Amino acid sequence: MSAPRFTARGRVAIAGFAHSPIARRADVPLGALTVETCLRAIADAGLTKDQIDGFTTGALFPSSGGRALVDGVHVVSAAWLVERLRARPRWVCGFEGIGQLPGAVILATEAIASGAADHVVVHRAMFNPAGGYHDNPMARADGAAQWTAPQGFWGPPVQMALPYTEYMRRYGATREDMAAVVVEARTNGAAIPWSHWHGRPISAEDYLDARMIAEPISVLDCDIPVTGVGAFVLTSAERARDLPHRPVYVAGYAQGHRRPANGVNVWSLDDLFDGGRAVARMLWDNTGLRPEDVDVPQVYDGFSPFVYFWLEALGYCGRGEAHRFVRDGGIRTGAGLPVLSGGGALGNGRMHGVPQMLECYLQLSRRAGERQLPRADAGLACQAAPSLGGVVAYTSEPTG
Amino acid sequence: MATKPIPVPDPLSEGFWSAAASHVLAIQRCADCGWYAYPPTVMCGNCLSPEPSFQFQPVSGRGRVTTWTVVHQAFLPGFAAEVPYVVAEVELEEQEGLRMVTRLGGARPGDVAIGLAVEVAFDDVAAGVAVPHFVPAERRA
Repeated sequence: MSAPRFTARGRVAIAGFAHSPIARRADVPLGALTVETCLRAIADAGLTKDQIDGFTTGALFPSSGGRALVDGVHVVSAAWLVERLRARPRWVCGFEGIGQLPGAVILATEAIASGAADHVVVHRAMFNPAGGYHDNPMARADGAAQWTAPQGFWGPPVQMALPYTEYMRRYGATREDMAAVVVEARTNGAAIPWSHWHGRPISAEDYLDARMIAEPISVLDCDIPVTGVGAFVLTSAERARDLPHRPVYVAGYAQGHRRPANGVNVWSLDDLFDGGRAVARMLWDNTGLRPEDVDVPQVYDGFSPFVYFWLEALGYCGRGEAHRFVRDGGIRTGAGLPVLSGGGALGNGRMHGVPQMLECYLQLSRRAGERQLPRADAGLACQAAPSLGGVVAYTSEPTG
Repeated sequence: MATKPIPVPDPLSEGFWSAAASHVLAIQRCADCGWYAYPPTVMCGNCLSPEPSFQFQPVSGRGRVTTWTVVHQAFLPGFAAEVPYVVAEVELEEQEGLRMVTRLGGARPGDVAIGLAVEVAFDDVAAGVAVPHFVPAERRA
């Protein structure tokens, strides 16, 4: 390990969490579910509502449906939450970029390390609206849409299909290879009590028979839209040591910034890889960690090909090798790297980085129950595409 | 029946759509260094000219497929009757990396491949509005 550049390493920690059930539709409004979940997270951390003086989230609603969004209904901002908790914060901030949960954790970490806040709630609230998630009845395409919608190119699955086709053709990857990813995520998700897919694993045959959305992306290569909330409480390492649960420390982070031109979301495989490698360099430089130091590298899997892209960006595989790595058991529970041990997005539902962060927290705090790994001292929680999303590194000790 | 989205020009894109209406593919080009930009931009991505000067210049309309997908579920209702259809990314021959996302007409999904030679065609979608797309190039002797 080299010396970390991140001087706040080990000075900020996660002290507790809560998770709502993940379901296609919730019985209560999203805002109410968020308030209830955040109060449980605060209690889990051994704190009271009045001690929370910082709030942040990244409230993006990741649909191409063009709906008018209502705070508390489709999204829940930090400001909305503050109002409904009748809190008196010293610090409230929203993350506007891509990789919303790492982004919010980074803001919270910097607020705590700088003294802007003591105890921060980081939440992520996801909503599944009635009707097709990405269906958009637009008649006129203006702004960035004028370059895509008139061509019939619309929605993230089509966006994902282009670089995935490129990957498969360039490196000879097959859908049989990807079955190892999706089956692993669903097997692990089936064991998570709050998962939408609890008790519902799938076989490789189920995956290969799945309905196509935009070849080679099938419905089972996409995480399923859900309603659910995850919440975490962050505080200083010093204060965390007096709280009930074993702290999990923020060891550093990195964020991508390679946005496609003029907001037109067309990804090229080379950009994803080169941008991802740049993010990984920032991460190792910032944290002082190396790939082999990480016991729980939770890669993002909102679309299955992201698993390949993160594995290759982080250096667990060479370029174009991830499909063989997963096919040969490289990520299988008990035999390979635990990159989807928390079920990920494919095994829980579209929770946008919550499963990855939660699995790092549960493993490193020794709260993972039956799936507790024997060695879990460093973890990575990734979200979105490696070239434009984010990743936070966690450790079970403040240094080393 | 649902219609396909009609492009709405703006100050940055007006030169592209007015040329397209006459069935001409014109791409924004930096007057200082000759770099093509698509979609149109406000600052040259190549020479970073502090006083950018752009013009829309007709191009050959020829290129090659760099990647593609076959859409089976259309999120835009105007395209629902056409599934499965092919959407490709095409690199124009004028400049490496000059790529457009386009409907690929006149090609069966099984015939598409990376490197397929294509050429521009136009759909008249409304009065005075035409959308360029690409089709497999004519085989020339």
